[in-house]
Amino acid sequence: MPQQLAVIVLVDVGNALESRTLDGNTYLFDNMKLQGSENQGTGELVTAISGSYWSDGSQASEQVLNWLPYSLGSIPPTVPRGYEAERARQTDEQALTELDHLAATSGTSGTDAAAELSRIRQSAGRRVKTTRRTRGRLSGQKVLDVTGKVVSDGGTQAHSYPAPVITDIYGQAVDEKVIYPAEYGSPDLVTDGWYWSATVDTSRPGTYAYTMRIQLHQLVEQGGESLWEPVNLTCESKIRVTTEPKRNAFTKAGLGLLPVPPRAFS
Amino acid sequence: MTTKPKLRESLTAARRPISITAVVDCVGALASHSVHGHLYLYDTNKAGGSTGFGTEELRTKVRRGDQLLWNVLALECEAFVSIDDIVIDRAVVEPERRTYPGTDVAYWIGTVKRDDILEAPYRIKFRVGTRTEPVTTTLSPALFG
Repeated sequence: MPQQLAVIVLVDVGNALESRTLDGNTYLFDNMKLQGSENQGTGELVTAISGSYWSDGSQASEQVLNWLPYSLGSIPPTVPRGYEAERARQTDEQALTELDHLAATSGTSGTDAAAELSRIRQSAGRRVKTTRRTRGRLSGQKVLDVTGKVVSDGGTQAHSYPAPVITDIYGQAVDEKVIYPAEYGSPDLVTDGWYWSATVDTSRPGTYAYTMRIQLHQLVEQGGESLWEPVNLTCESKIRVTTEPKRNAFTKAGLGLLPVPPRAFS
Repeated sequence: MTTKPKLRESLTAARRPISITAVVDCVGALASHSVHGHLYLYDTNKAGGSTGFGTEELRTKVRRGDQLLWNVLALECEAFVSIDDIVIDRAVVEPERRTYPGTDVAYWIGTVKRDDILEAPYRIKFRVGTRTEPVTTTLSPALFG
């Protein structure tokens, strides 16, 4: 199995939601710059995929691509998995402690119980309503701001957007059976246990486009409750399959043929 | 498909902090002992007039009172990178290091103090991998008013 390739899809979610397009609001990266990927960090990434071949020219192995969608300017993916849920639990516990304290002191003079309750309600934040369409990773969580604090009023306070979610990968590269994408579950720390991955048939050199369907989430207010409204947008990228040999990025070795001749196995 | 009448109100009225995100190719930076060619800077104020997206010379458009938040992403999720310091004219903004509550993941935050900023270039020092010496940007991103 060759090294797996990662394509990072960094989305400026706030701008994309406002302009209702991913064009100009998506920045793509991969870890194949050395192999000839072009336009790193722009919306026009072309991912270079080198095939690997035996000395007789036959294909030695496929390539594997993984996609990682991130939200620009949100809480980074490096915080522990389930961070929003964890923050919701922590702030609930804190509110209970404060309520205990209030119950103990409410009888004493100089305590404004109503004002204190209101303050506790503010600092406890508010859970987002779960709907049929937002069940899953966003359900039962609280709205956080970009520094990880809970937000009690999404209407007046800035909030952090959840990471974008890829819901489909399709288009020319899939239609022509060059890539075989699917969504997989995994104990991956940075994508909440789900990721899109594809094997690439490297036997057919050429440039192939593919389209990602990406779901963003917009915080909306309905009947006095906040909920994450899904917004589906698409963005395109390309892969370029070549017969260039794979190279080791550290040693720069591997410019010739693969070191193991196929006859050794027969 | 019929849709319910739109009673929903989009909640984007609040003034958001401007996030400045550095994407670092850690393997490249470690191999060359420099972030030059391995750093991509972005912010969330494109609509406000920021330029230089995806380069090492991002120019972020700011106003007095804007909250700026710097954080960093590694190109490969197994690699470690963090911001060690932000060197900028402290009359413009005084960034300070904080962590997300309950974690040791850091971000840098500061509030813009002035309105008439012609150009305030700054340098970011990164900690990459297990290297003990920080790596500093060679080209300067900047704030402007």
